[in-house]
Amino acid sequence: MSLRGRNHTTSIPVETAGFLIVCLGASYIALPADGVRGVLTKDDTGDKQTVTAAGTIYQPVDLAQRLFLTADLSGPDMRTVLYSCGHSHGAIRVTQVVGLADVERKDCFPLPPQFQCDERNWFAGMLLYQDQLVLVLNPSWALGGAAAAAAPVSVAQSEQICLAIPAGVGGAC
Amino acid sequence: MLRATCGQQQAQVTKRLWNMLVFSVGGMKLAARTEDVGGISSWIQSIPVPSRTPFVQAMLKRDNQVMPVYDLATRLNRKPQGEPLLCLTAHHLDGPMAICIDAEVPTLETVDAAAIRQTGRGDIETLGSVTIGGNDVAIVALQRLGQLTQDADRL
Repeated sequence: MSLRGRNHTTSIPVETAGFLIVCLGASYIALPADGVRGVLTKDDTGDKQTVTAAGTIYQPVDLAQRLFLTADLSGPDMRTVLYSCGHSHGAIRVTQVVGLADVERKDCFPLPPQFQCDERNWFAGMLLYQDQLVLVLNPSWALGGAAAAAAPVSVAQSEQICLAIPAGVGGAC
Repeated sequence: MLRATCGQQQAQVTKRLWNMLVFSVGGMKLAARTEDVGGISSWIQSIPVPSRTPFVQAMLKRDNQVMPVYDLATRLNRKPQGEPLLCLTAHHLDGPMAICIDAEVPTLETVDAAAIRQTGRGDIETLGSVTIGGNDVAIVALQRLGQLTQDADRL
């Protein structure tokens, strides 16, 4: 066999971002995976809203209320997601955890510019996961970042955020 | 010279005519310029999206294409009628947008631009109104739909 006959394979790096996909009522929401510190069942948390784990206090985050969603959080699939973003830590109750997903950059989109109000702060973008439309949560807003909530993210900023998916890191979409 | 004049006249005649798509929402007849319409298809279940933007609170997913839904029926205090409902894809300035319209199949009309009247209605973005089939029909400005409500919100 000559050298010419050999196949040279080149690996093309695929930029991906990791997300924890959850259900909140009828909505599918993606949490950037790098902030996930744990997922607890109802048995793990008991009746407590505030959770302390590994010396960190996770304050309750009523995401359904903040997003004006109707969600039944009393079902057997309800989970509490322990989430950290910078110095903020929150215990987010969700209807169901769907799974972890590495999403390619091409499957991640900015929120269409027709959405022009607070939702531009709530969501960093959207993605398709198992044929479902999933909204990518902005963790800074979700964990109560007052600065993030004050100034709505412009369409151009949102598109920049979406284009800046770090390779192999669960950053904001 | 003569040919050029004929061409100019032809251009003027073409310019004066507007091709319109006439459709209905909750029984109300509306029109739109055909160039503002991307297509008509069957309506599929929309996906609600938490949103504070007036009348933009859902998305439509068809295969891998996702577009926002503009709830024109609610804005007009109406409910789409008939089965199966239809989807009008609008060429909005910010990108394609889906609008749920009545099941009644839209028709094409050609109207003289001179017959278009300016309307003072402030409830919806229009390019004016025109009489079609004896009815006063508003010509919806699909490209800038939603602009009035968002401007009002900012004030």
